[in-house]
Amino acid sequence: MGLAIIEAKDLTYTYPTGDRPAFKDVNLKIDDGEFIIITGPSGCGKTTLCRCFNGLIPHFYGGRLEGEIRVCGLDVKENPIHMIARHVGMVFQNPENQLFALSVEKDVAFGLENLGVPREEIRRRVDWALKITGVYDLRHRAPHELSGGQQQRVAIASVLAMNPEVIVLDEPTSFIDPLGAEQIFQVINSLNRDLGITIILVEHRLDLISKYADRMIVMNEGRIILNGDPREVLTSEEARLIGVGIPKATLLYKALKAKGINLNGPPLSSDEAYKLIAEAMSK
Amino acid sequence: MSIFDGFKFRSESSPIHEMDPRAKFIYVCILFSSAIIFNNIIPLLILFLIQMPIVFLAKVQREWLRSMKASALFATLIFAMNFISLYFYAGHETLCSITERSAAMTIRFLVLIQTFSIFFLTTSPDMLGLALEQSGIPYEICFAFTTAVRFVPVLAEEAQTIIDAQRARGLELESGNIIKRIRNYIPILIPLIVNAIRRSMELAETMESRAWGAVKNRTNLYALRIKGRDILLIVSSLIILIISVYTSIYIRVPSITQMMHC
Repeated sequence: MGLAIIEAKDLTYTYPTGDRPAFKDVNLKIDDGEFIIITGPSGCGKTTLCRCFNGLIPHFYGGRLEGEIRVCGLDVKENPIHMIARHVGMVFQNPENQLFALSVEKDVAFGLENLGVPREEIRRRVDWALKITGVYDLRHRAPHELSGGQQQRVAIASVLAMNPEVIVLDEPTSFIDPLGAEQIFQVINSLNRDLGITIILVEHRLDLISKYADRMIVMNEGRIILNGDPREVLTSEEARLIGVGIPKATLLYKALKAKGINLNGPPLSSDEAYKLIAEAMSK
Repeated sequence: MSIFDGFKFRSESSPIHEMDPRAKFIYVCILFSSAIIFNNIIPLLILFLIQMPIVFLAKVQREWLRSMKASALFATLIFAMNFISLYFYAGHETLCSITERSAAMTIRFLVLIQTFSIFFLTTSPDMLGLALEQSGIPYEICFAFTTAVRFVPVLAEEAQTIIDAQRARGLELESGNIIKRIRNYIPILIPLIVNAIRRSMELAETMESRAWGAVKNRTNLYALRIKGRDILLIVSSLIILIISVYTSIYIRVPSITQMMHC
């Protein structure tokens, strides 16, 4: 693994309107090129934590941020959001409220225009980002004419065009149908695998995405409870008690194990489960 | 059918759509002033007819027809008002010339609507924003303009959802007197406004995340450039203006009534 791209030490944050911290004493180190999934029940502080990664906290939200956080070598407390935004792209939950231009390509160009990139370069990078996310053919359409899944891929393209080292996605599929979600996950995976971008994904739908992750972080009540290999995290007792959406394949593995049938390691997807079961049966 | 349908931009590729909005704006201004200069029916009819080729060239005849239909009621009203006031106050005019003068005012109104609708039907709000930007208007204002246009259909849809939801809970919109009816809309407006505020917070978050305000001189994916056909449009508009001014000063255009000795 490479260098630490995000490092948080004893990070505690309280919203201006909150009487207790949204998260407390978070220690976290994320390496360059990692694929991380953050999960946990609603209100556990995972969205709030993500907002620290590009400086929305504390610069946009105010409130009290204690401890240390450095992202891509920048101290989040010291640097304005637009400085951090060059390194960290942020994709939000509701696709509709992330696109504000009247055409798809104009939206993707928005960040680059803000950075004052020359026109030819904008054109090149916009086309590149649209092709990678598979929405190139939609570039002249109006965002509100697109399906939720397409809108979300445009939103990904618009942060990708800015060439970030890290992309943070905060529940990008919660408004999207299963097929659209699958396509989004494939795009996210290819960003990590082919372009080496560090991915931090907040997600509840672990069935489809767990197999791609290097590491899984589970939060509860403002603290990091579990942090490790997805297979270990998802088979742990704590994950079950908190109510993490454990993949069905993993649940099947645990159920079989309870009955004394041991498969070779916990599977994270139905494909993996199928292989392991076939393997066990052929013995 | 709403009156605005006749002005709603629809993406289409035509020579008129691709023209520089600034050139089209000059055209609109000149056609407007020419229509105001004349109160005689023949030049107004000419102004109306010379715009027809543009309507067809832009392939917006359907929308144009819609805008004409939508303004029919208002046109009739203008005709009736003119007719009545001329009948009672113009003194010794014949019925024919009163009719003609009222018709002229109606056609003037239609020329204005037609010019307006050609402009808005063929100019995308994006291009309009860009034209504003390149005319030196601060980017924040142009951005507010295009974003407002972008969210009109979204808010309309949301309003419909809220209306449906409140109706399902027994809210009656079409009952009572005018005060009561206005008050009926409060349960629609409050959630709509709250949602709009929430939405704008999310938008602001996204904008910040995409380096809003990073540099003073931001660049733009598109640039407007005046091309040959734009100059052609500006020059022909200017010719129309010169002819109109010249005619109105030096030539007495006869009315149809006079020509027919009615």
